[in-house]
Amino acid sequence: MLTEKSRSSTPFIEVRSVSFSYDTKNTGRALNRVSFFVDRGERVAILGHNGSGKSTLSKIMGGIVDPSEGSVLINGTDIRAMDFRELRKTVGLVFQNPENQIVAAMVEDDAAFAPENQGLPPDEIQRRVDMALAAADMVHKKGASVSALSGGEKQRLALAGILAADVECLILDEPTAMLDPTGRMNVEKVLRSLHAEGMTVIQITHQLEAENFSDIQRVIVLSKGGIIWQGDTASFWDNAESLGFTIPDSLKVRRYCDAQGLTFPEGLASLRLEAGVPAYHKASGREKFRVDGLGFRYEGKTYALRDIHAEIYAGEWLSVIGRTGSGKSTLVQHLNALYKIQEGAIYFDGSPLPQKGEEVHSLRQKTGLVFQNPEDQLFSATVREELAFAPKNAGFRGEELEAAIIYGLECAGLSRDFLTRRPIALSGGERRLVAIASVLSAKPEVIVLDEPLAGLDASYQRRILEMLARLRDGGRTVITVTHDLNMALHYSDRILVLRNSRMVQEGRPHEVIAEIMKTLEPEAWPEILRISAEVRRVNPKFPLIYDYEEFAKCISQT
Amino acid sequence: MYLTNMNLGQYIPTGSFIHRLDPRTKLFSFILIISAIFPSKTVVGVIIWAAALAGIVAASKIPWRAVLQSAKPVMFLVIFTFLFNFGAWYFRTSNVYAALYESLFMSSRLMILMMFAVMLPLTTSPLELADGLNELLRPLERFRFPANECAIMIAMALRFIPLLMQETDKIIRAQLSRGARLDQGNIFRRAKAFFPVLIPLIIIIFRRADDIAVAMEARGYDGGKGRTRRRPLIWRWRDTLAVAGTAAGVALFLALGL
Repeated sequence: MLTEKSRSSTPFIEVRSVSFSYDTKNTGRALNRVSFFVDRGERVAILGHNGSGKSTLSKIMGGIVDPSEGSVLINGTDIRAMDFRELRKTVGLVFQNPENQIVAAMVEDDAAFAPENQGLPPDEIQRRVDMALAAADMVHKKGASVSALSGGEKQRLALAGILAADVECLILDEPTAMLDPTGRMNVEKVLRSLHAEGMTVIQITHQLEAENFSDIQRVIVLSKGGIIWQGDTASFWDNAESLGFTIPDSLKVRRYCDAQGLTFPEGLASLRLEAGVPAYHKASGREKFRVDGLGFRYEGKTYALRDIHAEIYAGEWLSVIGRTGSGKSTLVQHLNALYKIQEGAIYFDGSPLPQKGEEVHSLRQKTGLVFQNPEDQLFSATVREELAFAPKNAGFRGEELEAAIIYGLECAGLSRDFLTRRPIALSGGERRLVAIASVLSAKPEVIVLDEPLAGLDASYQRRILEMLARLRDGGRTVITVTHDLNMALHYSDRILVLRNSRMVQEGRPHEVIAEIMKTLEPEAWPEILRISAEVRRVNPKFPLIYDYEEFAKCISQT
Repeated sequence: MYLTNMNLGQYIPTGSFIHRLDPRTKLFSFILIISAIFPSKTVVGVIIWAAALAGIVAASKIPWRAVLQSAKPVMFLVIFTFLFNFGAWYFRTSNVYAALYESLFMSSRLMILMMFAVMLPLTTSPLELADGLNELLRPLERFRFPANECAIMIAMALRFIPLLMQETDKIIRAQLSRGARLDQGNIFRRAKAFFPVLIPLIIIIFRRADDIAVAMEARGYDGGKGRTRRRPLIWRWRDTLAVAGTAAGVALFLALGL
């Protein structure tokens, strides 16, 4: 660990022994005596798992929330003593959900909000707007309306909205957690260029990616409200595993090559190897769903789905992948009749999928669907009631109902004491588990999950992946809709690839890998796949590998 | 979609003459027009206002489809007015034709009124509308009326309505997936069945409101004191003309007792 450098001058930002608790009795602190410095022009990452207190810290540093104890100083002045306008011109805050940060309907109007609040004259406001939109790489969307922007563009607009205040420092709380891979890459690109131009950037996140965060100079690790580690980025990677973070594959490859004295990728040019086909889970081979020429249009407009033919087998784990807007969600929502079939047919256990009446209800009990955001479904006062909702609707009563609740709870790996807890008071990861449990409690034969891992830290991701594998091994059919190729390639048995509303391929991961590379942008690929594609440029015989272990096996045979 | 109408009352920029009018002009004219439509008692009156509406929609270059779609959520009110009036008149006169005539008259008048109302947010961006309202309400500040807060509140509501519609659609889907019976039974049972939709929606609204308040504070908003504008409201000749024209038309209309 690095010791804090001795300082001759006052640091730009100083967090001095900050504590915070949500109740006045000061018990159960969300933050406990957190202290650190940030220098002007630095790019610092504050890392922590879900529930480590990192979001609270960002609000305290931004002067939105006052700490219970301690203080935040900027250029030696306590921010509580600073004038509101002065403070807002110094630190800018950007949050996770882009939608909730945009106040206007038009791009330019939104970027103008901060300078307007500063009381600047119109031509100066316009100058700031132009400057901010340029810095956030949003000039081409200047005249656009907000509703026409993608998620990544909205987040860049939120960033522009803060930059227009002419701030000296940016504090970002998980700014890319809700974005797709392209949106994430573009926001990161903007942050790197801002830092290169001298902006102080403090970014709060739950996982460091080696490529996107290449210019991060210092890492502070927060756990349970306290700092457990801080130091420069290189020494962070040396300690990452013991701190509970995963090491990116690119770093492992670099380390391996360094140890072997190989240059990358030229040193791998002479390899002549075939990747082995990984062992697969054997599904029953019995058709659960057959989709036959399915087509769907919203309100008679362009096709959201067109001529889809697919088989989904009982007891397999299928991943549906494709870009945002490729029709993934529309397809899976047909499977429990949330969308009515317009063209083609779907067969469930060999008979046509019911479209109305009581049969639809029994279909929905057999095919459970979990949406991405648990907030969209949790409504009960206790977890027990939440878990009882689906089985009750399916006609479970008395002991049968009680058994169903326990079944859901156990599937999700939650302990009994959760039953009396309030869903609204749970952490993000726990809420996701409860939402999944509340669908599983109806004992569905098929479970469909939309982006089940999005926004979760590594330990919750692992829990959900293990749960899904257990369900599949127990004979249930698992369908995941995702951008997350790591999950699709490593955990699911087969993958269905959608492109522009059409199905382009369905098959084992190693069979569809080439099609995936054509369908999804490189920033969505697993790192190791990008690396093997790079090696392939100097060594055309190098196989396309998406698993580090395979890759290591391959290159260790040199 | 369970809620098909995602763009209700959302600003559609076309850059037309109507769009470029000062928001105060549009608000003034709207108030004038309402005050003429309400007391209107004749079929000729309704036809005149329908024609005026058609003229404004054409001038705004906003497609009729969007106007009708935006008015859709209030259609139940129009239908209710129709049924209620029909029932009431039929009960009183036992004359089907008279009841039909009267209820059609009442409901079409209401519908025209609603469509005029919808034209406001369709041709004026939420922030502009807020600025205009703020100016109009400013005299009330002397009586401690929070004009500024009121205006920004309306602007935010307009901005977030479509998002909440999307959210509601997602919640409905999530609960249907868990076997919720949202479309069965009598009205009480249905109302009860909507709790699983209503509660998440309320929680989401509060969370969102909280997030937005923080984001606005982060951008230096503190109640709008000393706020300036990128495009200041400028009262032009065309605004004077538009308001004067509307006022003259409304006065003539009222004088003729249409």
